[in-house]
Amino acid sequence: MNITVTLLLICGLLFFTGGAIGIIRFPDFYSRLHPAGKLDTAGLTITMGAIALYTLTPFSFEALITALKIILIAVFVFITSPTATHAIIDAGVRAGLKPWRKEIDPDK
Amino acid sequence: MKSIGAILTVFLGGLLIYCSMDFPPWGDPDSPANSHVSPYYIEHTLEDTSVPNIVTSVLADYRGYDTMFETIVIFTAGIACIFLLRMFKTVEPETRLYRHLPTGITLRIAKGGKFPDDSDHFKRIDSDWVPHDLILQTTCRMIIPFIQIFALYVIAHGHHSPGGGFQGGVIFGASIILFAIAFDLRSAIKRMGERLTAFLCALGVFIYAGVGLVCMLYGNNFLDYSALADIMGVDPISARSHGILMVEVGVGIVVMAVMVVLYYNLASAGKQDEGL
Repeated sequence: MNITVTLLLICGLLFFTGGAIGIIRFPDFYSRLHPAGKLDTAGLTITMGAIALYTLTPFSFEALITALKIILIAVFVFITSPTATHAIIDAGVRAGLKPWRKEIDPDK
Repeated sequence: MKSIGAILTVFLGGLLIYCSMDFPPWGDPDSPANSHVSPYYIEHTLEDTSVPNIVTSVLADYRGYDTMFETIVIFTAGIACIFLLRMFKTVEPETRLYRHLPTGITLRIAKGGKFPDDSDHFKRIDSDWVPHDLILQTTCRMIIPFIQIFALYVIAHGHHSPGGGFQGGVIFGASIILFAIAFDLRSAIKRMGERLTAFLCALGVFIYAGVGLVCMLYGNNFLDYSALADIMGVDPISARSHGILMVEVGVGIVVMAVMVVLYYNLASAGKQDEGL
């Protein structure tokens, strides 16, 4: 069981790392929100799942309740985080921010 | 002028740092704060009030008078915001935007035109054009009840864990502000009107002060909740615990209502018509 939990945690942290690198490396606002929204949600869901599994290992009723609460955190983040990203991108479009394009500057 | 400001800043800052030399070192067991009242609170809270969370019992029981005036400060902030920002003369905007819901067409109705009533077909939208945000509205519809339940939990569970009236009230107010952001200001005001919020502001302070007054009527000191034991039919110690809960509910109502009042007035620049 511990091996499964460790593997899940490493997997989740990998997602988090990818998200952090993506936020730094991507060229503009919209593409930066892509790793921020997706990878953080995926990382958090997997990490929370791992923690819920770890709590459940000596199985008891209290452990089940705690695990359900942890899963509830994951569910709420799974719902709200992509919605927040959607709303931020909507605000960016309404404010008139143009998406980044890879094109050669005509002045040069 | 700038140099005078710089000299003053350096002088006053130096004075502050010099004065802080006289403070007792951090965590000093012999400092006045740690040698008079704190040991009493730490040792006697549980047997005095049967509240495991010392912070809550100090806040709402031992120092209840202080917290009452903190609540009144918040109440005053809400009232001041109404008086400073609220425009009591309604100024109708020249044009209004409506969305025809079945087709999604946006209509601009100029001055003198006939405004349609809000119905299943026409919905008024803000003059700063807003797109359909079905995702946002559905999510908020789903999340807001849970936020409000969590707020009530934080208020009620202040006895046992971090929390209490101020925090729970802020969470509850935030849920209503979230509704106002995701839908629009008008539908939020339709659900929770201006009169209701102003009434709730006053009601919370009334609950707090009223609990204190009832204690006084029963012959104890103001806000000494052990007087409530007769009314509630419990022993004086758990009466203090229940008294804290009643006071926390009052604080929560004030904080929630003031948050909503501040948002309504700031978001719409006092017109309470459209905004954000």
